Amino acid sequence: MALDLPSIIKNFDLRKCMQCGKCSASCPAGFESNLKTRMIIYMAKSGIDVLDLNELWSCTTCYTCQERCPKGVKVTDAIIFLRNLAARRGNFPRIHLTAIKAIYDTSNGFPLTPEISKIRSLLGLSKEPADVAHNEEALSKFRRLMESIDIINMIREAQK
Amino acid sequence: MRYSLFPGCIAKNLYPSIEKATSIVFKELGIELVEDPYTCCPAPGVIRSYDFDSWLVIAARNIATAEARGIPLLTICNGCYGTLGAADRYLKEHPESVERVNKFLGMIEMRYQGTTRVIHFVDLIKERLPQIREAVKVELDLKVAIHYGCHYLKPSAHGGENPERPEILEKIVECLGCESVDFPEKLSCCGAGGGVWSGNEDLSMAILQRKLNFIKKAGADCILDICPFCHLQLDQGQKRLKTRFEIPVLHLNQLIGLSFGIKDKILGLHTHMVSTRNIAKNAKKARKDLLQ
Ligand code: SF4
Ligand code: SF4
Repeated sequence: MALDLPSIIKNFDLRKCMQCGKCSASCPAGFESNLKTRMIIYMAKSGIDVLDLNELWSCTTCYTCQERCPKGVKVTDAIIFLRNLAARRGNFPRIHLTAIKAIYDTSNGFPLTPEISKIRSLLGLSKEPADVAHNEEALSKFRRLMESIDIINMIREAQK
Repeated sequence: MRYSLFPGCIAKNLYPSIEKATSIVFKELGIELVEDPYTCCPAPGVIRSYDFDSWLVIAARNIATAEARGIPLLTICNGCYGTLGAADRYLKEHPESVERVNKFLGMIEMRYQGTTRVIHFVDLIKERLPQIREAVKVELDLKVAIHYGCHYLKPSAHGGENPERPEILEKIVECLGCESVDFPEKLSCCGAGGGVWSGNEDLSMAILQRKLNFIKKAGADCILDICPFCHLQLDQGQKRLKTRFEIPVLHLNQLIGLSFGIKDKILGLHTHMVSTRNIAKNAKKARKDLLQ
């Protein structure tokens, strides 16, 4: 469900924003970068295109702004859905493809390595966790599921 | 009571010491944990940022796995909780999306019904403070810098602690006989979430540096976390920064394990990036004092 911009404005109450700046003043990413949360909300609610801004990807989704917003704007949720649109347009950090591919290939974002497998044994844990990654049938089913959802196609499209 | 343990990618595949401490501590507490075939939760910062629906389907597959056993799903990670707790709540609040999700899950003979619960392990510990107090064998004399991380507390729709003034970890630390030290921006993010850890390393490290500066000034012996991803950032991240902080990092289950008298080697503390030698020494001394 990639929401379009008008639905993002409506569903996350962006119009209620009174530009007080509490979100920016609370933002751990904003302290250390050019992310200006208040500006993103202003632009988005005014219908100005924000989807090409790299700063969309500087948010750590810590939810501090959303918790503190005096008007109840769902700031973090809005940023997440703006990213959904930005990604479809090809604005996303390419390095994330590694993690998405790892999930498709192994079902884990951080796959098991031989070194860690050794540490697991030394600690008396099973060499391999009893997860989907180490269960052939479950893994092939999981890949079938991954093939049917949007994220894989979207990434393939965006890379063209 | 039985729970289906959802260790998450990082505890399984990067910090097995956290998985080990979890199994020991929960056994001591008489809580049975079972293993089930899980996938990545999936990572909220990355997957949900790209496609909300894909995120929801993969999360629902995991929740449905615990549901098929008829027991609650237990996470030991804020990130997994941020995904599985939020997805479960979303599906329970949006019946029309359950249908949508089940169309996908049906293809692999699975089904989400919304009959189980997703629990953060801190909420189980919370209910057992007197039992934990009883089980403490060694009083570790440690100054602890508590790091709540973000997604146990927020969004506050999860319920539980007040995100601006949480108390539970302070209570647990006290119950173990340690001291919680105060520092500015204690509740702020470690800089790993939202895909920033992999997507923007400079920013991720700058946020971490700011946090560690405050913790160092507070004179903490160690940092305490409740999330393997925060743990990864706080432990491995120290090795990526120019400043040498050398502050040991412990997941809550590791600190409880030490307090229960379990040796640091058995808990795998030596597998961390930042040396935990001082913590181990402290625990050894406390164990000796006990014998005298
Ligand atoms: S805190 Fe809320 S009302 Fe204030 S600027 Fe940010 S989004 Fe707008
Ligand atoms: S959720 Fe994102 S925008 Fe909001 S305070 Fe945290 S990092 Fe900043």
